[in-house]
Amino acid sequence: MASLIARIKPDDFPILVASGFILVILLAGTGYTLATLGTMPLLTPNYLLTQLQTGAFLGIVAAGMMTVILLGHIDLSVPWTMTAAAMMASTIGGPAAIPTGLAIGLCVGLVNGLGVAYLRIPSMIFTLGVDSVMRGLMVAHTGGFAPQDTATDLMRYLAADKILGIPVAIFVWAAVSIVIAAILSRTAFGKSIYATGNREAAAYLSGIRTRWVIVGAFVISGLCAASAGILLAGYSNKAYQGMGNAYLLPAIAAVVIGGTHILGGRGRFIGTVVGVILIVLLNSVLSIMQMPEAGRQIIYGTVIITMLLVYGRTARVTS
Amino acid sequence: MSTDTPFVQLSGVSKFYAGVRALENVDFACRRGTIHAVLGENGAGKSTLIKIMAGVVTPTVGDLTVEGRKEHFVAPSEAVRNGIVCVFQELSLMPDLTVADNISIADPPRRFGLIDRRAQRQRAEELLARIHCEDVDPRALVRDLSLSRRQMVEIAKALGKKPKLLILDEATSALTSRDVETVYKVLGELRDAGTGMLFISHRMHEVEALCDTLSVFRNGRHIETFRKGERSQSDIVKLMIGRDVEHQFPPKPAPQQRPPHLAISGLSWENRLNGVDLKVGKGEIVGLGGLDGQGQKELLLALFGVLKGVGGQVRIGAGNGLTGSPAEAKGGAKRIALVPEDRKTEGLMLPMSIADNLLASSYHKVSSGPFIDPARAKAAVDEAIQRLQIKVGRPEDAVATLSGGNQQKVVIAKWLMTDPEVILLNDPTRGIDVGTKQELYRLMRELADRGNAILFYSTDYAELIGCCDRVSVMYGGRIVTELEGEAITEEAIISASLNIHTPDAKREAIAS
Repeated sequence: MASLIARIKPDDFPILVASGFILVILLAGTGYTLATLGTMPLLTPNYLLTQLQTGAFLGIVAAGMMTVILLGHIDLSVPWTMTAAAMMASTIGGPAAIPTGLAIGLCVGLVNGLGVAYLRIPSMIFTLGVDSVMRGLMVAHTGGFAPQDTATDLMRYLAADKILGIPVAIFVWAAVSIVIAAILSRTAFGKSIYATGNREAAAYLSGIRTRWVIVGAFVISGLCAASAGILLAGYSNKAYQGMGNAYLLPAIAAVVIGGTHILGGRGRFIGTVVGVILIVLLNSVLSIMQMPEAGRQIIYGTVIITMLLVYGRTARVTS
Repeated sequence: MSTDTPFVQLSGVSKFYAGVRALENVDFACRRGTIHAVLGENGAGKSTLIKIMAGVVTPTVGDLTVEGRKEHFVAPSEAVRNGIVCVFQELSLMPDLTVADNISIADPPRRFGLIDRRAQRQRAEELLARIHCEDVDPRALVRDLSLSRRQMVEIAKALGKKPKLLILDEATSALTSRDVETVYKVLGELRDAGTGMLFISHRMHEVEALCDTLSVFRNGRHIETFRKGERSQSDIVKLMIGRDVEHQFPPKPAPQQRPPHLAISGLSWENRLNGVDLKVGKGEIVGLGGLDGQGQKELLLALFGVLKGVGGQVRIGAGNGLTGSPAEAKGGAKRIALVPEDRKTEGLMLPMSIADNLLASSYHKVSSGPFIDPARAKAAVDEAIQRLQIKVGRPEDAVATLSGGNQQKVVIAKWLMTDPEVILLNDPTRGIDVGTKQELYRLMRELADRGNAILFYSTDYAELIGCCDRVSVMYGGRIVTELEGEAITEEAIISASLNIHTPDAKREAIAS
């Protein structure tokens, strides 16, 4: 057993723990339903696909968030980037809807990246400020009311339709995941993200253009948040104030539970996917168990802290 | 003036850092009422000595007695309680607090449990008056003071702790000549009042002017202690060098005139570089000598494009102009590589794999389109490991698992992968074993023979003598002496480093 644990790479350990915990959640939930209803709805494909569809929005946000966290930064502008992209997409409408939303994400990412990389403002403060500015702009744009525009057909198709019984949103999540995973593991830019996150000085002195790397990562995060916002608008058929608020903390939690080091430099993309699934299932099972909101929040927070404590116990390779 | 029992006495003290010896079996004593100079090259153990006395580090073995009592300091505050106070080389003031706050930071005067600002200010005024710095306002923020004034505040702060032994580690290096005079006077007054002082300085004339007892350290050993005047300056220099084990260096080629590939003129940066002129030809290894902190590191960083606001001219090959960033330095026509000073924080991403570290500067070389080609990446990594004979388990292992020497080889291999023409080395052999050192010396010569221009800063004089075709010695941000061929001797380098003149060193001053 000990030798088996020793063979696991440090980066993979959190992923295994999180995967194990997903099984625990499913089993506990099934035990509960067996005891109360005598059925096992949690293990049906239908239930799992629904969970993955819910997870798709969070998964796309978390994918972008991960690129930023790998640098040791954070993107707190996600909620209103999502909302702004969704609102502008549904306002513009027609074939230009989705490109407009993505352009919003690109711009927010650029502003964040330039602010953090060139003005050297801590990302936690800068992105918080940008989030607030975006909220102000959206309130000005809508007059503070829910806009009347509805999502376009394409947005609805991507978010809520199904191909062969599988929600299209899952395919979108899969596509985004493949792109981000390929960037992180197969491109010079991805390697530069890890290098910069590990030790910015060493990366800079290796001739990596660390500022561009930072800008690039924030642009990815902005684009991902915008995509999630557009999908969410398609799912609920319209954009509304504060639609992104519920995604910020779960996205950060998913990335960190998936084993990405909050100070940057380490983490595998598959971990983030596992983290997203864990969070979505945990939420769902707790609500099936009819846990009151207060108890859900407490359990949710405790799980995150406990898992990070467990990860902290793994041997670190440091000098 | 000295009393009979020493105030502080070390007997049989050794200190090891992770197996590396910093001090070995040192017996040392210093008395009240004397100014005692400690001399030695970089890495001779001076800093460790004072850190032990000030309670910053504890000795691995050996005893420390204060006024005959055996003491075991585990924190600087305990040393202070025993009257041993240190003015450190690095300024320890908090820039955003006032002078008065800083002076009383450790033990502010209190009234009803709250800091008594008036008493604190009075105390600061008294102490500043004692070191003849009445012009410093205790309410001023430290950040607004000049470097020299800050150093004076630092001394006032130390005096506030009522020292019986005051340790001054390079405390005069930042002072203007006016403040130096003041400090001399203050130190003289303190000595007459019975305070002992331990004075560490690289400026020989200061030591001559101020101290009555001198101790020489070399390679972590206490070589000799004598009274001022018992030894001549050249004797002292000889004691500092000693007769060391000779390193194995590859043979040097016959000296020849080489057209300069890298030509620097009038390079300046803030107050650290004050007009550096230097030429390095293809196939040539030029050494940078001098004591720590005379601008050698800044020179290398300026050439590599790290520093902003560099003045002067740099010509590399046919191309003119300063470098804007490391990314620019490594590519295009310049093709510069820098092996940085601290491989753990500047050279390597320690938790990342050996392969990723090796490729960090050359991803574009192993990519096709946006994607890294795994086959080419692997081939490049294997070649690099092979070429420098880096002893690795698997290239996927974290680079932190390697020994210091092999880590340094990874840094160098990373840069050789970029196929550089100018190679800047910042003390590349620090903290690595003798065997690897020899491999690096051979590698440097091999690279030079292939037509690279190499600029090599080392704190080890033996390396400069053994490896370099020419040695430029820096002092105060400029090159004061250039030595060539037979003229590269330990005596010549040391005297040039201390900026003193000894008759047996052939000197060729190129800057006043």
